[in-house]
Amino acid sequence: MMPPPAPDAVPRPISSGAESGIFLRLRWLIARSTVGEMLRTSRLRVSLVILLSALFWGSLFGLFHEAFTFVDSLHAEVISLLFNAFFSSLMVMLVFSTGILLYSGLYTTPEARLLLTLPVRSETIFAHKFQEAFWFSSWGFILLGSPMLTAYGVVRHAPWPFFVLIIPFMVAFVAIPATLGGIVCMALVAWMPRLRLHALSIAVGAALVAMIGLAWMALASPRADAMSAAWFEQAFSRLSITEQRMLPSWWLSSGLIEAAARAKDGTVARHQTEALRFLAVLVSNALILQLVGRQVAARLHRLGASQLVSEIPTRRQRRMSWFDELLSRAGTDRGRPLRLLIVKDLRIFRRDISQWSQFVIFFGLLGLYFWNVRVFNYQHAYAAMIGFLNLAVVGLILSTFTTRFVFPMISLEGRRFWILGLLPVNRDQIVWSKFIFSFVGGIVPCCLLVALSDTMLGIEPWLIALHEVCCVVLCAGLSGIAVGIGARMPDLREVSPSKIASGFGGTLSLVISSLFIIAVVLVTAVPVHIRFAAQERGFAAAGWTGADRGVALGLAAAIVLGLLATFLPLVLGLRAFRRLEP
Amino acid sequence: MIAFEGVTRSYGEKLAVAGLDLTIPRGELFALLGPNGAGKTTTIKMLVGLLRPSRGTVQVAGHDLVRDPRAAHLHLGYVPDEPCLYEKLTGREFLWFIADMFGMPKAAAEKRIAAEISNFELGEFADDLAESYSLGMRQRLVFASSLLHDPDVLVLDEPMVGLDPRSVRIVKDLLRERTRGGMTVFMSTHTLAMAEELADRVGIMVRGRLQFLGTVVDLRARGSGSVEGAGGGESRSLEQLYLEITSTDGPGSSP
Repeated sequence: MMPPPAPDAVPRPISSGAESGIFLRLRWLIARSTVGEMLRTSRLRVSLVILLSALFWGSLFGLFHEAFTFVDSLHAEVISLLFNAFFSSLMVMLVFSTGILLYSGLYTTPEARLLLTLPVRSETIFAHKFQEAFWFSSWGFILLGSPMLTAYGVVRHAPWPFFVLIIPFMVAFVAIPATLGGIVCMALVAWMPRLRLHALSIAVGAALVAMIGLAWMALASPRADAMSAAWFEQAFSRLSITEQRMLPSWWLSSGLIEAAARAKDGTVARHQTEALRFLAVLVSNALILQLVGRQVAARLHRLGASQLVSEIPTRRQRRMSWFDELLSRAGTDRGRPLRLLIVKDLRIFRRDISQWSQFVIFFGLLGLYFWNVRVFNYQHAYAAMIGFLNLAVVGLILSTFTTRFVFPMISLEGRRFWILGLLPVNRDQIVWSKFIFSFVGGIVPCCLLVALSDTMLGIEPWLIALHEVCCVVLCAGLSGIAVGIGARMPDLREVSPSKIASGFGGTLSLVISSLFIIAVVLVTAVPVHIRFAAQERGFAAAGWTGADRGVALGLAAAIVLGLLATFLPLVLGLRAFRRLEP
Repeated sequence: MIAFEGVTRSYGEKLAVAGLDLTIPRGELFALLGPNGAGKTTTIKMLVGLLRPSRGTVQVAGHDLVRDPRAAHLHLGYVPDEPCLYEKLTGREFLWFIADMFGMPKAAAEKRIAAEISNFELGEFADDLAESYSLGMRQRLVFASSLLHDPDVLVLDEPMVGLDPRSVRIVKDLLRERTRGGMTVFMSTHTLAMAEELADRVGIMVRGRLQFLGTVVDLRARGSGSVEGAGGGESRSLEQLYLEITSTDGPGSSP
């Protein structure tokens, strides 16, 4: 039955170049297959992503065009400072994001284990996974940076080579922090496997604190001076710390500014040569770092992988926390299964560092921003509008969490149907438990954040109450959308929550959530704005006016929208989940 | 062909493998048995280069897995308990990827791929994306990929998981034929019947130590005091003997 092995099928070592060629072919095959499948099965999603990206790019371009026109008219030299501050911040973020991505790609994925058992060089594996991490960590930078730099070029009437050089400059720049992130990641895993998480957390924490501190130092000043010329001057002098000549961000900023410059007689040759020199500095440093990265990989990759395999996950044997116990025992016996399901989700959330850390980071940063809005002085109408904008931001951040973490919950539960299916639990209770978990989990931080924002803005109590009601409406609606669509369109084959969230159902949930937030904020903000406008023009008399009625009607409309967003998807989801056959 | 020399591996304070000395010659099928947590997976991970020993050396075809992993891997084929494939590659593309990684000439690779697709009856779905495969189909594809380069050593971690009876038969026939042809097989398994049917020697590992090393006949002899069928004392089943050796208060002794 089995033919004897062919004598010429003897394995032989291949060159480093051949290994790279094989990985390149692998990448091409995977990309071809993925894109082909997307075009066959997810045209709507692809079109939506392209459309939203174009919209995002266009909006950013418009925004930056206005900003550069304004700044250019004030202080032309300010641009260099802004570029340096922006690119140096991104540089720090790229080191961490690439390091984290490479940690997963080089060590923890099944592919990493497969590659470690093949006769392939560690440095080639590093290069292969680096390219992946480089792409994932740089596309956001390119999407954000390219409209900014294009707008800058347009405002400064830059010669055409500037526009051609934008992408090479950005790519060469990103490669430097990305490689550094990879080197740090490999060193941490190989030499400090037990400390790596703590070290990473400490490093991320320190970087965040440093960046916040820098921003605080740069922007903080007495209320009266805010946005004045003196305030700008003071802020910029503090930001000059980012203009260190040894930083790649300075090479990038200087190169781009040179590329966009013209001499007084209109010639560009000298400036272009200077720009190309800066590009050469970036490229050569990126290449040297790549060589260092490959050497580090050759020495440390397999060692690190072995160190990581050696670790035994901590086996926690803690007793049920008092809160879990209280929750599971409170209420009637009939509601106990529902409460137990919520306790289970709560425990999973607490033990999943990726969930609560993102929750803490995003809401923490939002809290910091709200805490600092008091730096500026506002008129009543302006403060009210900023309050609504802040409400929308809270809603948008919550919607990313409900889409990323709540939407996949039903799909993941579907995979565990053999457990839940055998328990005396009603299927409806599973769906309701997710809704209550999401609603209660969202309402506390969101309402606190909105209260903080409004207090710092000095908003009147009735408007704070209105914002809080809107916040409750948003929390209920966003939870209903995520849980309802999650139950209506579950993906039972996928095990990764992030992949479930990035599927069609997740995209739809995010789009509907965004539209819902916009609708709720608009129907309440517009009447409030009209009321303030009426007051300013002296139309409003004491007592119940037409403008007040408008505000009340707006609030009623928001509540109706909230009820629709909560119950419509939930009813559809409950129906579908009752019929679900895993 | 495989040599563990004084291999010790610890996880923190826990000793997973303690002073393992084991040599497996060319053409032998060796089955490693033991209860969960005995150190079988750690031993296999060291044998395929995923884990470095805390002390001692592991060699495949004379190549040290730590000092020269690439040279050792050229002689190794590995079938893990959880097959890993690229979901967006077809089975055939995956086989080509593996063949290329082992530096097989194109013509030879083409022949070998066709042969393995036929051996493991993969033809029907070889051009479908791996994401559509069942566990059994995945396992068969990984088997095919591990044999493409005709390795000197084949390492199998729970090889029959997910395979249907027909596939199990194919694999058993293949293992017999390849070991006759000189391939060394190192297999970890919980299935005593399979070890009994296929293995030239078995090792029983308990708490990181080899408590028994020998043939199945030796094992039976050790249990009954005489070789089964030789008319000696009361013979016990292989399962009983295994349970005695692996029980925490059993009689286990060093090999």
